[in-house]
Amino acid sequence: MKINLKDLTILKAHEALKRGDFTAVELTQAYLDEIKKKNKDVNAYLEVFDVAIESAKAADKIIKSGKGGMLTGIPCGIKDNILIQGQIASAASNILQKYRAPYDATVTSRLKAEGVVFLGRTNMDEFAMGGSTENSAYGVTKNPLDLNRVAGGSSGGSAAAVAMDGALFALGSDTGGSIRQPASFCGVVGLKPTYGAVSRYGVMAMGSSLDQIGPIGKTVSDCEIVFNAIRGKDIKDGTTIDEQTYKYQISNIKYQSGDRKPTIGVPRHFLGGDGIDKSVMEAFEKSLVQFKEKGYEIKEVKLPNISYALMVYYIVMPAEVSSNMARYDGMRFGLHVDGKDGIEDYFKTRKAGLGREVIRRILLGTYVLSSGYYDAYYNRANAVRRMITNDFLKAFESVDLIATPTAPSPAFKIGEKTSDPLSMYLEDIFTVTANITGMPAISVPCGFAKKDGKDLPIGLQLTATHGAEETIFRAGKEFLGSE
Amino acid sequence: MITIKELEHLAVLSRIELAEEDKKSLIKEFDSILAYVDQLKKVKVSTAAEDRVGAVKNVSRRDLAEPISKEDRDRLMAEAPEMVGEFVAVKKIIEQD
Repeated sequence: MKINLKDLTILKAHEALKRGDFTAVELTQAYLDEIKKKNKDVNAYLEVFDVAIESAKAADKIIKSGKGGMLTGIPCGIKDNILIQGQIASAASNILQKYRAPYDATVTSRLKAEGVVFLGRTNMDEFAMGGSTENSAYGVTKNPLDLNRVAGGSSGGSAAAVAMDGALFALGSDTGGSIRQPASFCGVVGLKPTYGAVSRYGVMAMGSSLDQIGPIGKTVSDCEIVFNAIRGKDIKDGTTIDEQTYKYQISNIKYQSGDRKPTIGVPRHFLGGDGIDKSVMEAFEKSLVQFKEKGYEIKEVKLPNISYALMVYYIVMPAEVSSNMARYDGMRFGLHVDGKDGIEDYFKTRKAGLGREVIRRILLGTYVLSSGYYDAYYNRANAVRRMITNDFLKAFESVDLIATPTAPSPAFKIGEKTSDPLSMYLEDIFTVTANITGMPAISVPCGFAKKDGKDLPIGLQLTATHGAEETIFRAGKEFLGSE
Repeated sequence: MITIKELEHLAVLSRIELAEEDKKSLIKEFDSILAYVDQLKKVKVSTAAEDRVGAVKNVSRRDLAEPISKEDRDRLMAEAPEMVGEFVAVKKIIEQD
């Protein structure tokens, strides 16, 4: 039978699998066929797994036995920085081109336990450093909606895979917007959970105080289903949180006390810049009107230090990058290039294995952490980080959600920003705050911009206080009008 | 703002060999990024620097060698670029007189 992938969601696929409309093998085959058709143009997948059909067969057995869960037999893509035992995990870098994961990441084993089918590993900016997937050592991922444009990044392959019907959902990682911005560019939904909500064991670290794993899907409900499957305390990741961690913040959310809809705060003072595309602001304003019509209250909020968030990010993140990347030494795993002595092995290996953006961030991190600059940069950034978090916590005393656009523009052209790193960094202006504060944020499609005769998606970002994913899901579902 | 000598020093600290032709453009990019983040110096910092996020505390594991299965060990060791017997091979770093 022909399966209509376009309209399929996890919920619908689950029902159809349960009813026997199609099998997990047929569903997986349908996705593999679609990938075969489109991936040569889009380059969303770096590799498609031969074993996908085998795991679909296993899923069919579970479904037949009646023990299947919501995700049993659901095909997904996995970002190339997340380990699946026995598969290559390269982080789209030359230095890990042949690295075969010796164990499963916790998110992988949790999805395996659900009977999820892994279709393949998705393309990304090298080590998740970038906002366009142009920094991949294995070629750019193109936007399925306009092949002249980027899919966003760094989880560009994951977002493109979902958008081109090459997976029902995908996992990404988000350090400064790397799930939400590509979701926005590709017209899909992407969630960056609360810091610590999802275990990062077996995920390649970039900025350890910022990184989170999250789902990219076609609907808010689909992201919620995946989030619930992968979240939770993990003994192997000391930063994971449990139900109690943010109990106080969550109990303080106002709308829960009554029947009223959540209140949405808008930081108007932060949205006036001329770096924001007109089409983005139009779609954003329309979204607020829609929320109003659905009974939400819209209120202005002041976040006095929010304009410093991106500067804080570009100090804290490279600092953490420079220490995390020290492990790629050419001795224990990954690429090795031989020099005349031990120390030259490091220099040669890292030169040959690491791309330009990665090198730039390592150097920048080394600079801000070096003696004499440490106080002026790193310590100061951490203090301002605390001030920004306090601003948000204060704002969440009077509103339940804060709305901004996800990105200042729709998908840009391939090559448009590669020569100017700072302009690429400015892409993260709205998304980094959630990583700085550790708060959860989602991007949902909220309209289109007409560029060169193509309709390019625009994303709306909703942020809530720590641990309040529930509030985000509720509003996101009502906004999109989906189940 | 940053000199070629400083850049080369950072590269040594970072254990990265830089190509001669990349140095100039790296300096240019560095300067534009540093000029941007330097705006932080204007902020009046009101709270003490705090280096942790949210409610997460630093957690250390016990200082004990945990047993590992032979399969796990073999898979980890299989990733080493060079082995001698059961060991990861690296170059000698201590010279003998």
